[in-house]
Amino acid sequence: MFSYLVRRLFIGVITLVLITFIIFGLIRNMPGTPISVNMAMIDPGKELNTADIKRMEKAYGLDKPWYQSYGVWVRNVLQMDFGRSISRKQPVARLIKERMGPTLILSLSSLLLTYLLAIPMGLYSSARQGKLDERTVGTILYMLYSFPSFVAALFLQIYLANKLGWLPLYGMKSDGYASMTATQQAWDIFKHALMPVICYTYGSLAYYSRFIRANMHEVLRQDYIRTARAKGLGPITVLVKHAFRNTFIPLVTLIGLTLPSLLGGSVIIERIFSWPGMGQLYFESILERDYPTIMGLTLMFSILTLAGQLLADIFYAMADPRVKIADH
Amino acid sequence: MQEQSEEKSESTSQQKSVKKSPNFWAETWQRFKGRKMAMLALIYIGFLGFVAVFAPAIAGTKPVICKYKGHIYFPALGYFRRQWENPIFQKDKFRNRYPENLEKKDADSWAIWPLVYQDPYRRVYDDEWKGLPGNPTQETGSPSLRNWFGTDQRGVDVFAQMVHGTTIALLVGFVSMGIAGVIGIIVGALAGFYGKWIDMGLSRLIEVVMCIPTLILILAIIAIIDSPTIWHMMAIIGCTGWTGIARLARAEFMKLRESDFVLAAKTTGIGQFRIIFRYILPNSLAPVLVPITFGIAAAILIESGLSFLGFGAPPPNPSWGTLLNLGRQNLQMWWLIFFPGMAIFLAVLAYNLIGEGLQEASDPRLRDA
Repeated sequence: MFSYLVRRLFIGVITLVLITFIIFGLIRNMPGTPISVNMAMIDPGKELNTADIKRMEKAYGLDKPWYQSYGVWVRNVLQMDFGRSISRKQPVARLIKERMGPTLILSLSSLLLTYLLAIPMGLYSSARQGKLDERTVGTILYMLYSFPSFVAALFLQIYLANKLGWLPLYGMKSDGYASMTATQQAWDIFKHALMPVICYTYGSLAYYSRFIRANMHEVLRQDYIRTARAKGLGPITVLVKHAFRNTFIPLVTLIGLTLPSLLGGSVIIERIFSWPGMGQLYFESILERDYPTIMGLTLMFSILTLAGQLLADIFYAMADPRVKIADH
Repeated sequence: MQEQSEEKSESTSQQKSVKKSPNFWAETWQRFKGRKMAMLALIYIGFLGFVAVFAPAIAGTKPVICKYKGHIYFPALGYFRRQWENPIFQKDKFRNRYPENLEKKDADSWAIWPLVYQDPYRRVYDDEWKGLPGNPTQETGSPSLRNWFGTDQRGVDVFAQMVHGTTIALLVGFVSMGIAGVIGIIVGALAGFYGKWIDMGLSRLIEVVMCIPTLILILAIIAIIDSPTIWHMMAIIGCTGWTGIARLARAEFMKLRESDFVLAAKTTGIGQFRIIFRYILPNSLAPVLVPITFGIAAAILIESGLSFLGFGAPPPNPSWGTLLNLGRQNLQMWWLIFFPGMAIFLAVLAYNLIGEGLQEASDPRLRDA
């Protein structure tokens, strides 16, 4: 186990270096620098003289070729220094911490909702396999699964916000947020979060419940289920205690793989609802050519993706005694 | 594969008692045909293909066929490529107003018009078509008898844009997944067939590409290219979307390289290249087609998502995602969101259904289910 972990970590570090190197090279070769883009945004007419630009480039380390800057960046990251955002004049670490909260509000509530709904739905549909209601629910779920979330977001905006006026169109807080009481604040965020959470949830809900159903379908054909039925256990006991517990393993692995998306947020959904989360930050920092922020976010996503894969494998080995992690 | 089954069918034709064993593809097709939804989806994609090919004949302002000054022309081809529209119309200063100019400049001319006289690139003006009013603009452009799916802010017909946008939606899927399929199968085949350090290296490569966020890669590359076209985008989507295919191909090749027919081929001294592409590949293609089909759906989503964010095909090209983006700027104009949104949804749904049908038709474990 230990040497397996060491090996995986070693490979993971190499992968990380490769990814960050590629992204660093790519973004540094995009036309425009943070300074030129920033100037154009503030005042198109105002132009810095070359001496000033040179000075700023030196201050941000843009005067070196990109592979040298990459070395500097790696050295800083190893000392836990992620640099300062060029366009926002803030440390990248603090910027990411600020944006993490809003994204977590959406992703955690959506994850919770997904599991709360998908497990009963998956069990229900495997209990009523082939019946009319199960097939109807199955078809609807399949359609939802194929429904693009950004189209759904626009439909919701048109109907719930624009036509009925029940929910705010976008943003996370109302104007008078600061002067509200705690419960009002919570209610305010809840109202703003409802539409994005729906958009996040329905697709994964459809995916998870179909996933559970498919796994249940395979388990229910096993001999031990027949044995359990033969010894006279009730259908619910068989379904939940005997069958469902054995579908837990793939479900657990799935959690590991959702790790990056928990913090990653969705660029499109966050943009549609102007939600101040990680996805928005990513998008904005690409537009602003804010190299330190892009690199900080890339590093975080890559670590999460790799960690998620590793966790999924370890969970898998822990949950299923048949799977052994080989030391070699 | 093909040869083997043909030989077999010849030998079995003499002994009638033995049931002819159908070849793998025929068998998969048989089972696929049995799935109504998947077949329906396939027909729908065929229908989209038809719409894409005949787009200029369905909606346009240029005649499909016309006779002008004694010659037959096909001006509608200009929608595919500018150069295919005969230069004579430019020389005679038609300025894309065919109905009035044909009549004015040659009294003997005749023309067969597209089914719907609307243009995907510009507004149709007053009196352009025998006394009919021009297209409404802004919020007044709701769906009507003349503009089936309404008009956008500039008064351009949405139906015409969607019909002409079908080409992009279909091409994006096929071209990008064609690229992804080739890369994925080659990488997966090499990793799975040779194993050892080649597998180690290629698996790392797959991991790296998987970890790089697609969006940042696409945005970065689009920024680097001077004038990005829809073809660049397809290439980028293809170059980032092959990892799933490679993983599956790798697994299939690992499984099949140990099988008897590969051993038999090896003992007869057939080259490795031939074994990979002529022996193993045809047998692993059906499972590999599954992620490709799902990938087409994903590619359509990525393209419309990018167009939606404003990074899609350059403006004059009509695309479903671009229409959504227009609709987002004014939510009152629901028709700008509803119709393209449903079109994207249906295309994605169709590909998902086909992919699932293929999966169940080609996977022996699911056959009885």
